[in-house]
Amino acid sequence: MIQLELVKKVFPNTTVPAVDEVTFSINKGNICVFVGPSGCGKTTILRMINRLVEPTSGNIYVDGENILDVDSDELRRRIGYVIQQIGLLPHRTIEQNVGLVPRLLKWSEAKIKQRVMELLEIVGLDPVETAWKYPYQLSGGQMQRAGVARALAADPPIMLMDEPFGAVDPIVRGRLQDEFLRLQQEVKKTICFVTHDINEALKMGDYIVVMNMGKLVQKGTPMEVLSNPANKFVKDMIGDDRGVKLLDLTRAESLMTAVTEGSAAARDCSCFLDAIQPVKMALEVMMKNDSDVVGICRGKEVVGTLSWTEIKKHIHKISGDQE
Amino acid sequence: MNFELERFVEAMLDRSPPYILEHLQLVLIPLGIATAIAFPVGVLLTRPRFRRYTGRVMSIFNAGQTIPPLAVIAVFFPFLGLGYWPAVIALTIYALLPIARNTLAGLAAVPREVKDAARGMGMTEWQILSQVELPLSLPVVMSGIKTSAVLTAGTAALAALVGGKGMGAVIFAGINFFRMELILAGTIYIGIIAVLLDRVLTFVEEKMTPSYMK
Ligand SMILES: Nc1ncnc2c1ncn2[C@@H]1O[C@H](COP(=O)(O)OP(=O)(O)OP(=O)(O)O)[C@@H](O)[C@H]1O
Ligand SMILES: [Mg+2]
Repeated sequence: MIQLELVKKVFPNTTVPAVDEVTFSINKGNICVFVGPSGCGKTTILRMINRLVEPTSGNIYVDGENILDVDSDELRRRIGYVIQQIGLLPHRTIEQNVGLVPRLLKWSEAKIKQRVMELLEIVGLDPVETAWKYPYQLSGGQMQRAGVARALAADPPIMLMDEPFGAVDPIVRGRLQDEFLRLQQEVKKTICFVTHDINEALKMGDYIVVMNMGKLVQKGTPMEVLSNPANKFVKDMIGDDRGVKLLDLTRAESLMTAVTEGSAAARDCSCFLDAIQPVKMALEVMMKNDSDVVGICRGKEVVGTLSWTEIKKHIHKISGDQE
Repeated sequence: MNFELERFVEAMLDRSPPYILEHLQLVLIPLGIATAIAFPVGVLLTRPRFRRYTGRVMSIFNAGQTIPPLAVIAVFFPFLGLGYWPAVIALTIYALLPIARNTLAGLAAVPREVKDAARGMGMTEWQILSQVELPLSLPVVMSGIKTSAVLTAGTAALAALVGGKGMGAVIFAGINFFRMELILAGTIYIGIIAVLLDRVLTFVEEKMTPSYMK
């Protein structure tokens, strides 16, 4: 668990705070995404959590412990850090880079080797091909994945990830996001994730913290932020397709009309969708099958129907809230 | 001044060679001492605690190279007199600057994000210095040592003037007795020593430069 209490940072020789009295907490096992324009203080917040930057005022607690009471090197070995500029050691191989923290923690060489190979696999780098290369022999995207592997190496319960997928193309980024979310299902780490891409924030975050000019503008679940943007700044950042983005986060089951298996309504459906799929998928299925209604299933059983009219009504309702 | 080939051959083969080792010593000892001083001082000056002294210390090293070694010997004359060790001290002072300057430059050239990442991974300041900063800056430090070596090889000729031995003895004998052959032979040997040192240290430098920097 990570807590920030009225944390403020004014860098030397500047007048405007880079981070201005920010308060929030992240529960164990959750991903909190910081999103906001360049220079709004996202990186500074991360770097205060692992004490690379000391706050001007305010308190930070990690697992209930004030971080000022922990030796800073020890704290950092417990917190995985993916830095924005990647920062692999140029004179060390990828194997040595990824094994850096385990070596600092004095793991056995055999265990380190095994762990590095496992991690390279996880982040989608060929272990045999990549382990002995130097960073300059990798592409930007591959270096970034090595950076993620390095941060995960010692299996730290907390991760700070500063635009970890910034240097890869949208398709690979989407895949890395999916893989990471799947990994997170297993490892349940407490993650601070920085991005300036609102779509990435909505996809990755259990919570989102929207920042602007050092100030916390809004915090909440993606659903809360989407359906109730705190102000024009948040609304503009989400963009004009707020309704569609919401449909991506809304499960089909939450809008459907419940029917019983075998009823006339259920039998009329020509296409089907799993109940936990987003409403956006329902639209996709309807379009593909040239149908106005889709049957919603749990397992093999049809439990509801969702029609184009119902979806339209829902969009109108949110858009109505908006004005 | 006239030139006789026979005397020149004699100067090259008989008169000068005994001074080669002497001259080499006169280069390597000051170089070793200068490295032992300038390198650690350069490292210290890049540490946060001592960074504010950088300007002052570097201007001292600068003066060490601007003031001619003979003047340095003159200054120390009342305490040390003449001879070998005053010459070594003067040459050492002369050799400090390039090494210190390159140590500072080499450490300053280590990318910020690399040090940052190392710190973020939980490396201690000492681990960052010894495992990241020094390996990455060593090639630049080596090239400073090389500059000093070549510089000292030439300047060391002056040591003979104060009884400090070295190849300079051959040259100054030539000047005193109007023997062009001796002046030429001494100069050639100093040139060879300088080139040889340069070659050897370049080889070491290349050995130290990891493939990614080439
Ligand atoms: N070491 C520093 N000294 C002075 N000012 C700094 C320092 N680091 C950051 N700043 C300033 O603090 C503000 C916030 O910087 P920060 O790096 O946290 O932004 P960011 O949200 O991560 O931006 P980006 O998306 O571009 O990475 C900026 O105005 C920046 O200029
Ligand atoms: Mg940043």
